[in-house]
Amino acid sequence: MSSDPATNTDAAWLCGLLQASDSFYPTGSYAHSFGLEGLVQAGVVHDRATLRDFLLLSVVPALRQAELPLAAHAWHAFAGLDWETLGELSRLSAALKTAREARAATENIGRQRAELVASLRQYAPAAEFLRRAAAEGWPCSSAVSAALEGRALGAPLNAVLAGIYYATIASLLAAAMKLLRLGQNACQSLLTELMDLAPGVIAAAEVVPVEDIGWFNPWLDIAAARHEVADARMFIS
Amino acid sequence: MAEFSGHLSLQASAREYGPTVLSSQSFRAPYHLSKPYWDADAGVLLVQVVNPTAGILAGDQLESDIAVGPGASLLVTTPSASRVFQMKDGTAACRQHFTVARNGWLEVLPEPLVPHRGCNYRQTTRIAVEPGGEMFYADLLLPGRVAHGEAWEWKSLCLKTEVRVGGDLVLSERFDQTGPDLRALAQLSGSGPAACFGNAMLIAEADPADAAWIEAVRALHGPSLWIGVSPLRRGGWSIKFVAVDAMGLRSALKSIRAILAARFPRLASDPRKL
Repeated sequence: MSSDPATNTDAAWLCGLLQASDSFYPTGSYAHSFGLEGLVQAGVVHDRATLRDFLLLSVVPALRQAELPLAAHAWHAFAGLDWETLGELSRLSAALKTAREARAATENIGRQRAELVASLRQYAPAAEFLRRAAAEGWPCSSAVSAALEGRALGAPLNAVLAGIYYATIASLLAAAMKLLRLGQNACQSLLTELMDLAPGVIAAAEVVPVEDIGWFNPWLDIAAARHEVADARMFIS
Repeated sequence: MAEFSGHLSLQASAREYGPTVLSSQSFRAPYHLSKPYWDADAGVLLVQVVNPTAGILAGDQLESDIAVGPGASLLVTTPSASRVFQMKDGTAACRQHFTVARNGWLEVLPEPLVPHRGCNYRQTTRIAVEPGGEMFYADLLLPGRVAHGEAWEWKSLCLKTEVRVGGDLVLSERFDQTGPDLRALAQLSGSGPAACFGNAMLIAEADPADAAWIEAVRALHGPSLWIGVSPLRRGGWSIKFVAVDAMGLRSALKSIRAILAARFPRLASDPRKL
């Protein structure tokens, strides 16, 4: 983002991104822990220190190498309504997730977000995206839909990626507060630390070529696969 | 030191009277093939791909292309671990491509990859299975020469795998962690300083009989072996497992194959028969 004084146009997309990043925005992400519950059940994440390790060692690299680059390429593709690339990115997004619950989470959130863009913003490419996704069997993707939303709002790329970064971390911390003995201040201090890393992570993600998109944590994938058949659970994923 | 531009190309085809044969083969050092063996009990042709050099060295460029035709069935294995040696300069790359036609079966079961301190290695695996074809693929990664006190010390290691079923991309994975990051993840997860990782994919159409093997494989999970099974978007399953050491990893793979053999009988073939 530039350091120039904000304009009314900036305020318009900024307010839109704030709305879209809020837990009040009905994408359904509040129902998911994105594998965290599985790791808590396995005893891996059990306090603030292990949660911090999980965020730094697993969540941030996955954002840098997968979710944010996917969104960046989709943001560019939406500029020219390059539907072929958008279809490929949607399929790639699903293929990157081998655990069914992780895949279902991104598909459900992505579909909901794209439908919200179509209905709340009256942004014609959103309706066309949903039509093509249904007709051609593209799995919806939370990253691709976030890029669509960014285009609908007129937000610049780094702001769109910052929105995804914030929403991902905040959503995990909100889930962590329900899963662990963790107070609001502990979560906010983690959120602050993670937000300090955002500019570097976003800058790195913007230059990841499509062929280098992807990153996974074997332990998280295993925990997510086992969460599918857990006897008791609070979150869908 | 010699640099290799190795090449391996195999085509497995079914004969009218049953057995599979290699209908075409071509290879260049460091690849070499052992004499194929038809395992009549399991109904699969065993082929062992041998690297007669010590391992993978800087500058090596390895290309392989293995195709299984309609009705053919093939098991490709290696006799020993693939060691990737220290590289002061340069990198090594391996690009492998597997295709399976309708009613074909392919199992790819290499011995583990052992990245030595300071190596630079990139492996790209592309798998294409036609509808009705089946495949079991397992990649095993050791953290290094643990007995020498050397683990997670590669310079760069990138294992990229892509699977298409009927042309549809169903899996795209990129394992690109630094050694220290992976060591820290292993420590966080309680898998210990010598944790070993197995990444397997089973490509086959779903069947009600699958519930039995999925439950049995999941039941292998315990403190010294993490294992998860999850269906891909279409046409198969991902089976990931992490063991506390190499012996545990091999034992896990052996158990997985034994369980799966009840549903996929060609997995009953013993790759060490050769």
